[in-house]
Amino acid sequence: MTDTRSCDETLKATFPSILQADVAQGAFSHFLVSKDVLPAITRHLHTQPSLRGRLALLWAVDNRPLRDSYGLHYLFTLEPSCRWVLLSTELMGNDRLFPSITPHIHAAKWYEREIRDLFGLIPQGHPDLRRLVRHEHWPTGTHPLKKDFSWDHVMGRQQGEQHFRRIEGEGVFEVPVGPIHAGIIESGHFRFSVAGEPIMQLELHHFWKHRGVEKLFEQHALTDAVPLAERVSGDTTVGHGLAYCQAVESLLHLDVPRRGRYLRSLFLELERLHNHLGDVGAICNDTAYALPHAHCSRMKEQILQLNDRLTGSRFLRGINRIGGVSMDLTERQLTEIVLELDRVEQDFAELESIITHNASLIDRLETTGVLTERTARDHGVVGVVGRASGLNQDIRRDRPFAAYDELPVTVVTYRYGDVRARMRVRLDEIHESMRLVREIRTKIPQGPIAVDPTHRPQAGEWALSAVEGWRGEILYMVMAGENGTIHRCKVRDPSFANWPAIQWAVLGNIIPDFPLINKSFSLSYAGNDL
Amino acid sequence: MPPLIQTISLLTAQVIVLLTVSPFLVGLIRKVKARLQCRRGASLFQPYADLAKLFRKQPVISTASSWIFTTTPYILFASTLSAGLLVPTFASQTPLNFAGNIIALVYLLALGTFFLILAGLDTGSAFGGMGSSREAIVASLTEPAMILSIFAIALTAGSTNLSTIVHKTALLEGIVTDPSPHLMALAALFIVALAETGRVPVDNPATHLELTMIHEAMVLEYSGRYLALVEWAASLKLAVFLSLIANVFAPWGIATTLAPASLGIGLAVYVVKIAGLAVLIGVIECMFAKLRLFRVTDLLGVAFILALLGLLFFYILRS
Repeated sequence: MTDTRSCDETLKATFPSILQADVAQGAFSHFLVSKDVLPAITRHLHTQPSLRGRLALLWAVDNRPLRDSYGLHYLFTLEPSCRWVLLSTELMGNDRLFPSITPHIHAAKWYEREIRDLFGLIPQGHPDLRRLVRHEHWPTGTHPLKKDFSWDHVMGRQQGEQHFRRIEGEGVFEVPVGPIHAGIIESGHFRFSVAGEPIMQLELHHFWKHRGVEKLFEQHALTDAVPLAERVSGDTTVGHGLAYCQAVESLLHLDVPRRGRYLRSLFLELERLHNHLGDVGAICNDTAYALPHAHCSRMKEQILQLNDRLTGSRFLRGINRIGGVSMDLTERQLTEIVLELDRVEQDFAELESIITHNASLIDRLETTGVLTERTARDHGVVGVVGRASGLNQDIRRDRPFAAYDELPVTVVTYRYGDVRARMRVRLDEIHESMRLVREIRTKIPQGPIAVDPTHRPQAGEWALSAVEGWRGEILYMVMAGENGTIHRCKVRDPSFANWPAIQWAVLGNIIPDFPLINKSFSLSYAGNDL
Repeated sequence: MPPLIQTISLLTAQVIVLLTVSPFLVGLIRKVKARLQCRRGASLFQPYADLAKLFRKQPVISTASSWIFTTTPYILFASTLSAGLLVPTFASQTPLNFAGNIIALVYLLALGTFFLILAGLDTGSAFGGMGSSREAIVASLTEPAMILSIFAIALTAGSTNLSTIVHKTALLEGIVTDPSPHLMALAALFIVALAETGRVPVDNPATHLELTMIHEAMVLEYSGRYLALVEWAASLKLAVFLSLIANVFAPWGIATTLAPASLGIGLAVYVVKIAGLAVLIGVIECMFAKLRLFRVTDLLGVAFILALLGLLFFYILRS
């Protein structure tokens, strides 16, 4: 605690103009800063060796009708202490300009472009002001997250063309891939500049699946939006549902009973298991080594069917509710989970030794798609991808939620940052998840599984929540509106943080290895595009 | 029977055998792979159904493509089938015995590849171009290895005519006792066959990832009957290579006379032999990951060296 206070004091001493805000949660330091000192203070947080702040989230809020202003909020995670530092600034009246921090902090690049597209606020000094979320055919002046933009407004079309960064020279070709692919792959556009097979540059052009999720949240009541959160990215149903529920629970001052928190951890680990198993198989399949793919698919299916028997939903839909979980598990069901996982783990251990001893496979994975620790840190990479590049971070350990304060998690890291490291992280996490499920089975207490909300938050109150989903850190910021509605809900899937890093990981690799690298990142398009 | 009628009937028989057996080989490889992955897999006869379906479908042709795109499937199919008629299958007498030798075989196959490369470029799509450039690398490296390995065998038989080679080997005439040149050439030709027919570890016929494809990338734009012809030609090529390997290195059982009983036995033995090779390919596809694109040259380099060693061994053993 002294550590925290001294950090805050130093910050205030260095920047006398900032104001410390009172935060009810007490879980992080919150400062109100004027926009002029913003670049200096963010730079200080990011580069100071004792702080090493990672920009975890950057979001804007249209404060109308409460106040005629736009709020901008910068959330940093300080690496040594895992503490959160939140900087807030306000643009009053007709002010539409804010200073860009991208020149110092790479990780802000997409956030600032997103804010520009969705709110019409302009980051001054941003090196790349092309459209990101709004594709070129969106009419000029369309900024859907502004409060005066109605959610069911039908947009027109305008002529426009996306301009890509071009490399010109003899023998340099551009290869456009997607958004329609030869196989059943989600919609994303990748623009390669190649000299022969080696990749000189890759540029992503995503957001084809933009569905206006954040706008849709604003049409819901706080207590009704769990099904929407579960559908942000279908493969992370529990992760997103849980992150949303936690944010709303802290707004409603709800304490989830212990048994409910244990069950949440249990379902989160089951989700991690089936996705990691699927990914390990898919990585092998992308090298044309189909045997592990077939077996991983079988094991994934075993877990999906287990989910179905337990909850009636293969992807665990409808498990989380505000205040706890929606259904309890009997002793017999808990035993069934452990027995089924024992069977899967036995098969998996055998398959793991086949995978790790196949020289032709390892040759494909090693040194392919290296994401260095430096690049990963600069881009604020999270989750499996970060841990494979040596970033020792896991929300389950760093900011325990659900039952993880009573369930210590061993965090696996590898240093090399290649496809093999990303697969190794998954292999180790599968064992760790199975161990956690067994531990939950022995430790789970009796008692109620949920509480009902009684409190109603004031308009303008907000809460943050973080969950370590199977891909990595999922962040939600929920701000209450009038009469229990949602004023603003910011969703940050780990994919949004990790997608830009792939552009660096592929450099120097050859084109036929790109699908493998992409698969080893295994990012969501839906969660990114929102 | 007059020789002309004999040739024509043999020709017809071989065309029918090649056309009917080749889709079966593809189905068999897929079935073996599926069974090894504990899957049930599609029926052995699924490739026939696929072809029938594709022939009924209307082709879609890019407006940016030229006549090369539409003629290539016919040229490819015809050249591959002609190459198949130069290879002994169930009888050691090949129907086009008089028309060409081993070199004609290699270049008939190369003709089809050449047009396929052109067709890949013709549509102007990025993937077609990538597939074509990759195929050109692979084809230019397999060709010398293939010729050398067959020359190693031709030297022992004293002829470049495949019928003569197979006939002599089947009757054990003038064959040296040491099998080393044969074994070297066999290994080389097997690698060449995997590369030329686009199998793992060189190419992956089952992939949906357009960036990793070689053969599939070139034919990505084809549909309908054109695609059917291209697919059928690809399976014919597989049948040609498997027949070549089976009959040049282990011709025993092949019909050396034109007696009906001998022909019947020859046909049965032939089907068993190439089915065995197809199973082997299926097993290999399950055991290995695909090579990195730039490692393919190493593998084909090994094939070339093996074939060269085969040739050298022949001279060393003779003296």
